[in-house]
Amino acid sequence: MTDFRTPYLTYEVLDKWDTPSWNDQTRAAIGQRLREVPQRRFLSEEQWSLLQAIVDRLMPQPDREEPVPIVPWIDALLHHNHTPGYRYADMPPMREAWVHGLKAIGAEARNRHGALFEQLSADDQDELLRDVEHNRVESRYWGDLPAGGFFRHHLLKEVVGIYYSHPHAWSEIGYGGPASPRGYARLGPDERDPWEAEELDFEGADA
Amino acid sequence: MLARSQPEPSRRPLLAVGVAGVAAAAALGWLLQRAWRPSANRNYRAAEALGAGTAVLCLSVALDSGIEHYRGQFKDRAMFVGPTMAALGLAAATWIAFRPEDSRKALPRIAFATVGVTGLIGLGFHTYNILKRPGELDALNLFYGAPLGAPAALTLVGLYGVIAGEMLSGRDYVRKRLPRHTAGLIAFSLMGTIAEAGLLHFRGNFQNPVMYAPVTIPPLAALSIGAAMLTPRATIVAEPLLKATAVLGIAGPMFHAYGIHRNMGGWRNWSQMILQGPPLPAPPAFLGIAVAGLGLLPTLAEERA
Repeated sequence: MTDFRTPYLTYEVLDKWDTPSWNDQTRAAIGQRLREVPQRRFLSEEQWSLLQAIVDRLMPQPDREEPVPIVPWIDALLHHNHTPGYRYADMPPMREAWVHGLKAIGAEARNRHGALFEQLSADDQDELLRDVEHNRVESRYWGDLPAGGFFRHHLLKEVVGIYYSHPHAWSEIGYGGPASPRGYARLGPDERDPWEAEELDFEGADA
Repeated sequence: MLARSQPEPSRRPLLAVGVAGVAAAAALGWLLQRAWRPSANRNYRAAEALGAGTAVLCLSVALDSGIEHYRGQFKDRAMFVGPTMAALGLAAATWIAFRPEDSRKALPRIAFATVGVTGLIGLGFHTYNILKRPGELDALNLFYGAPLGAPAALTLVGLYGVIAGEMLSGRDYVRKRLPRHTAGLIAFSLMGTIAEAGLLHFRGNFQNPVMYAPVTIPPLAALSIGAAMLTPRATIVAEPLLKATAVLGIAGPMFHAYGIHRNMGGWRNWSQMILQGPPLPAPPAFLGIAVAGLGLLPTLAEERA
């Protein structure tokens, strides 16, 4: 894991809350995301804790006292069966892919180390996940589910997508959130509206 | 939980707002015309009107270029020049509008010459800005690149100011040719402004039928004052058309204000919409050119006698 420093030292996207940048609809949507974190409904407790351990390796948040919640939103996604509207040709439907994929990762951990994935060291977890990504897995656990495909198209995509849907992640990358109602007037390269984030730590930006 | 307000129902109040806007503009125009006590001397009156029209044109250019160059964050130091020159033209034009006899003095003539030449240089800068973009001279760059019409308007400002002085020179060609040539210049100015409004309203897909107004009425005014170069009788047609063009120049900002209201966030979102919505200070350019044309008409009719 490389150290990440945000170049947006003073930027806080939630400062836009009461400005002309956002309206009631935008505040309602973001407020819901901040306050109404869903409870566990679809995953079992074991699946939940396994997924949490995986997410902690894919999107580590050691610098946050309160990490951006990711697992609850994946659980909600599965509970409501909110698929993207299509199914990958070589994979089963979304819910089955997740249940099967989590089970297979758990089985890989037991087979290699005789322990739960959550109990492994960070390095062992990383190595296992890297093998999953590159299809270096036991086919008896995975069957017809392509490990690399599950890793990239389901696991990684949802984790990153959910993380960067959160205002704290927006502040980190200098993103302004929904351009609703106020968008941007200066659209060219190297142009900035006064209500946009500004990089202050250029060394951090280059790191 | 925050209160969720329902989206505003579409009542399409365009017609009422349109009628109210034009009525207000016509009333304002009528009041301005009543307040204007023109001189009995036709050349003096033409110089006066050229000064007043130029002042309005300068105000339009100063505000528009000020806003647009602010949007461009004055990236190039030269971007301060356009609004500054427009302000200089505004000062000189206001001066000769109130004191036409001073238009023969050196100071306003130097000011107008400076503004006019700077306009030509600005035209070069804006052309370069368009041509340096990928695609060079294509519709997209004409839409979104630096506008050609704005610096050209400064050149017109310079010419109008110098002509205002010439009108009072008492030279022979003032009686014979200058009014006709100026009529041609005004027709050309109108066509340029129409081209710019037409280009941008086309970019806006003429989404409101009123957007056709500046590409229908002013072209007729341009044709009629152009025809006045050939026959003084055309001035009879030119007068009401130029007045209608002037009314458009006053109604325009009202429609553009309504356009901002219709945009996402409306006037509450002014910090974006002043820059990105329809330009508030642009339409009075029509008013300025029309006023100059209206003041010129008597000298055109005089020529026949």
